[in-house]
Amino acid sequence: MQRAVEAAGIPTVSVSIVKEITLQVRPPRAVFLHWPLGHPLGEPGRPAQQRQVLLDALGLLETATAPGTLLEPGYPWKRHRYEGE
Amino acid sequence: MDLRRAKNRLLSRVLARFPSLVDRWARGRSFARDGEAGPWAPLTKPLAACRVALVTTGGVHLRSQPPFDMANPDGDPTFREIPSGAPRGELVITHDYYDHRDAGLDLNVVFPLDRLEELARKGRIMGPAPLHLGFMGHVDGPLVERLVRETAPAAARRLAGTGADVALLTPA
Repeated sequence: MQRAVEAAGIPTVSVSIVKEITLQVRPPRAVFLHWPLGHPLGEPGRPAQQRQVLLDALGLLETATAPGTLLEPGYPWKRHRYEGE
Repeated sequence: MDLRRAKNRLLSRVLARFPSLVDRWARGRSFARDGEAGPWAPLTKPLAACRVALVTTGGVHLRSQPPFDMANPDGDPTFREIPSGAPRGELVITHDYYDHRDAGLDLNVVFPLDRLEELARKGRIMGPAPLHLGFMGHVDGPLVERLVRETAPAAARRLAGTGADVALLTPA
């Protein structure tokens, strides 16, 4: 899917929570978080956390220079304070 | 609710609790069609001038649209178009294959439209794209071919034709 969008000329970035799939698929750009399935942006009701993931992902659109770029911010699940909290 | 759907939902809750089980499951399967690095579209303007489209496989759609097919064990390779201005109360999730109770409490967990609007107000992006896409991430068997050959290129053309400058993909 990500490749199809990229092939249409639109730069893409994904948030991944299953590293094994990301390593196999090699999307153009991805942020990996070792978080539970169903929570790519984090927890409900934590806008600062969601915003941080979003900024990390969008930032990768500016910084990545080659396909297959994977960013691993390493935020622990639930035990991290985000800017603005 | 039939037994198969109940089983899928139970399994989804177990997998959400134990990410290591998901990794182990994924190692036993093949998701890549080739080992090559894919196409590359470089960013050609500042983020502050970009409209961002969301593409989620979290089963998000409008209440008025047909729900994703939960009866076919191979899933559903179709997608739903979600306009930026859709009332939040009209956005629903149909997806038995992941635990979306948290996403149901706060849709931004899989579909961060509110967060995009905040970034637009701060001038970090130009805004959300006019159109976003909702998929249901469980696609298996013969439907994978349809997803890759038909649905994905059609979805990409739709995004390109509606003014998306960049796309953020959120799997569930």
